[in-house]
Amino acid sequence: MNKTAIQTTPPLPPPTHDQPLDVREASTAWSMIKKILSPLASLRLTVVMFVFAIALVFLGTLAQVDEGIWTVLSKYFRTGIAWIPFQALVRFGQVFLGVSPHAQVSGSFPFPGGWLIGGILLVNLLAAHAVRFKLTWKRTGILMIHSGLVLMMLGELITGLFALEGRMPIPENWTVNFVEDHRALELAIVRHVDDKTDDVVAIPESFLRKKERIQHPDLPFDVEVLQYMPNSDINRNPPPGMENLATAGDGLREVAIEKPEVSGTDQSQMDDMASAYVKLWKKGTNESLGTFLVSKWWSVWWIPGLEQPQHVTVDGTTYDLFLRSKRAYKPYSMHLIEFRHDRYMGTDTPKNYSSQVLLRDSDREKEVIIYMNHPLRYSGDTFFQSGVLGKDQGTILQVVRNPGWLLPYVSCILVSCGMLFHFGLNLVNFLIRRMKI
Amino acid sequence: MIFSRFLPWLIAAAGATYLMMMAMPSKDPVNGIHLAEFATIPVVHDGRPKPFDTLARNSLMVISGRQYVVENDGKEKSAMNWLLDVMTSQVSRNPSPADKAKVFRIENDQVLDLLALAPRSGFRYAIEEFSDKLEKLEKEVDKAKSNPKKQQDKFDAECIELARHLERYIQLARATEFLQMVPPETPGGDWLTIREAFVKEQQDGEENKPMRALATILSSYAKGDIRTFNQELATYQQYLKGLQLPETRTIEFEVFFNHFEPFIQCCVLYVCVFVLACLAFLGWTKPLGRSAFWLAVITLAVHMWALFARMYLMDRWFVFVTNLYSSAVFIGFGAVIICLILEIIYPIGIGNLLAAVLGAVTLYIGHHLASTGDTLHQLEAVLDTNLWLATHVSCVTFGYTATFVAGFLGMAYIVYRMLGVFVNLPEINIVGKMIYGILCFATLLSFTGTVLGGIWADQSWGRFWGWDPKENGALLIVLMNALILHARWAGLVKQRGMAVLAVCGNMVTGWSWFGTNQLGVGLHAYGFNNTLATGLTIFWLTQLGFIVLGLIPLKLFRNFAQMLMPRTANGPHAQRKPEKQLA
Repeated sequence: MNKTAIQTTPPLPPPTHDQPLDVREASTAWSMIKKILSPLASLRLTVVMFVFAIALVFLGTLAQVDEGIWTVLSKYFRTGIAWIPFQALVRFGQVFLGVSPHAQVSGSFPFPGGWLIGGILLVNLLAAHAVRFKLTWKRTGILMIHSGLVLMMLGELITGLFALEGRMPIPENWTVNFVEDHRALELAIVRHVDDKTDDVVAIPESFLRKKERIQHPDLPFDVEVLQYMPNSDINRNPPPGMENLATAGDGLREVAIEKPEVSGTDQSQMDDMASAYVKLWKKGTNESLGTFLVSKWWSVWWIPGLEQPQHVTVDGTTYDLFLRSKRAYKPYSMHLIEFRHDRYMGTDTPKNYSSQVLLRDSDREKEVIIYMNHPLRYSGDTFFQSGVLGKDQGTILQVVRNPGWLLPYVSCILVSCGMLFHFGLNLVNFLIRRMKI
Repeated sequence: MIFSRFLPWLIAAAGATYLMMMAMPSKDPVNGIHLAEFATIPVVHDGRPKPFDTLARNSLMVISGRQYVVENDGKEKSAMNWLLDVMTSQVSRNPSPADKAKVFRIENDQVLDLLALAPRSGFRYAIEEFSDKLEKLEKEVDKAKSNPKKQQDKFDAECIELARHLERYIQLARATEFLQMVPPETPGGDWLTIREAFVKEQQDGEENKPMRALATILSSYAKGDIRTFNQELATYQQYLKGLQLPETRTIEFEVFFNHFEPFIQCCVLYVCVFVLACLAFLGWTKPLGRSAFWLAVITLAVHMWALFARMYLMDRWFVFVTNLYSSAVFIGFGAVIICLILEIIYPIGIGNLLAAVLGAVTLYIGHHLASTGDTLHQLEAVLDTNLWLATHVSCVTFGYTATFVAGFLGMAYIVYRMLGVFVNLPEINIVGKMIYGILCFATLLSFTGTVLGGIWADQSWGRFWGWDPKENGALLIVLMNALILHARWAGLVKQRGMAVLAVCGNMVTGWSWFGTNQLGVGLHAYGFNNTLATGLTIFWLTQLGFIVLGLIPLKLFRNFAQMLMPRTANGPHAQRKPEKQLA
């Protein structure tokens, strides 16, 4: 046995103290953070979240057979926990597996919602980059892709939280200075001051749903909601056995009948037509002014003759009651000069819609044409050609205010370039290797 | 051997000859009726001027599911001939041949019972067989339409469908009232029906020559007066040429395109490529493989020509996809390109095989989708933008294509793995690599395409993402591809797992392509179709089958193989590497 072969390892030199103390402390702190972050940065978590995301998007699509897009949006995607009805799965069976079209299953089960999945993915992504961050050529692409994705998620978050969407219907030769949010309602109490001025107090929808007595110094009377219907029909002949709650106004002659909400991104673009029975009380007393039926059906202001306000007189002053889409008044107005609806020869298939409008602001006037795929952007709002009023009597413009609108554009460029770079680099390397073989 | 060197050339030449033969225009007999000439007469239908040939073929396709009629004596009758029979059925000798033509395809048992018809092979019936039951049908249709759409069952849907076909038939039969075939006298004017032109003539007191000519052509056809028919037709065509209407400039080309049926020819040739590619696996690999490849290249060229021809006809350059039909033929085109590139990089035959399968299958699907009507129809206003159609739609559809190619490679991988029990197949690793590469490509395309769609939506109605079913479908594909890639990078799956997941990707893509449209909601909800729903279910079941096969441990296969081949000296494929090294 050759003893010289036995060697001992020299003891490790004592740690040098070249590095300043705070750097060392920082590095230990960093390694601590890394330890905490590493489970969050796991790629396995990413994959699991992708599975959940796929399931959620799929279920959220199925749900649109029965529920309105906006309901689905708030119940599935813009929420922490989504409650998914079993009926959504039955719908799938009905279309693809021959389940009877009359099958009904009640009940629902919880599932992680869009905010939760998106949030975890975002944390996961940020943690992964914090733990594994390296600035090399090879990783540039990935970095671009992921920063683009973060921007996109932020964009969706900003849109979800801050974007406002509304409609501006303008009949030809009319001028309109407000935007309607057709998804939100208000009970407007209007006092006609003079030809140019109205005094408006509006009660938001959330108060109406509570069915409590609503009192406010600005209100000329107290309002109690007896019945609230999110979607309804108005009928002259009440179904047998139905009790008419109204004691005053047009509700004496016509009744509102509740019906289910409009489902899906319905192509007919029908809105829910809410109605409510409201009892009015003389301010602070128990003296009733009558129960009125108010309905969105009676707030169609853009067709002359269809608007049907309910009149209430208190202390000699007459107020008009409207249940209508929530309005936001703008500092500028739009006047519709001409609306065009071109069709393909010999058919009713629309070829193009366009609105020639005069935009009037305090200090200037501008004539613009808004048409399909060519919106107008003005003072933070964007106007899109969206629809037609009745028989081509006017236009419906979609008005959107979204502070995050630019983010998807930047994100798209970042991610696409990132992928091109990353996959392109891999492809080039691969091809070079193949050529060498 | 010299023959093996020239085989690819021979096969390619045979393919080219076949195509040229099919492209030869048909000629009318000198003394017979000039049907082919009449086919080039323009008519405005569904918002665009088209030749009568297209109207005839599309109508027959919608009603009957094919572009010809088989007469009682077994002879085939052309769509043009049938259309003229229908158009003149109200004035012709009674009963008209149109009444006897077995064209209405009715497959549903209950509908057949309702109309007191006995099921027969092909399920095609003549109108005279059930014309006395039309009232009954009308009642059922009214009842079906009064049901909310979600509660309509198959019988309701089939009744409504048949009523739609009858409506189309009646419009054709009352051609003078419904078909706008009288051209304007000057470019830019309106096309009129014969009746409208007649009323106008009475009002203005000026003779409308083209209206008179068309009326004579139709009445002489009804009377069987071939001479007058041919003469008037020639005069009318001369007149039409003199008008030089810009909307009729592509009419003749469209007739040629209809006659050539390039997508059907390509489908036939892809089947030939499939046969060659399969034979190449069995033996004489190189010459047969090269033959399959070059035949596929020639077919691809025609496929591409046909896509561009459609763009020329629609006057929308680089807009490949405008409806489900065009998405099918475009997916086929894209898939063949990707597969042939794979074959160039790795000439192991799998690229040829998949090119043939995907090309033929997508064109076959496209052929059936054509039964929904005019495949070159005009677009709704919001879709009428070439920029976004050319970028977003092409990109996202190409994303579908790449995902399908990856999925089919996954299926191939699973088959290779099973066959590997019996024979040594080192190529399986190459297939695994292909899946990875194509998935990267698919992720890039589907992501970019989806986001471009979002930007279009932002441009057109101010909402980047609307959670519409079709948008969600595209998002699902992106998520699925991202999932597979991340699962690979996380080490959760290796080649086999990736192959299985890629097959799942096929299911997702199937959902996105056809499934979302079947829900009947959303802005992209075009083309609901019972057959499609059933077809999609079957597709999903086959994919599930592959997934199960992919998940079964190889040991089970080996035991099974040993049971099959107990007497083999070393057992089935004794020298195989253990699965771990491969998968």
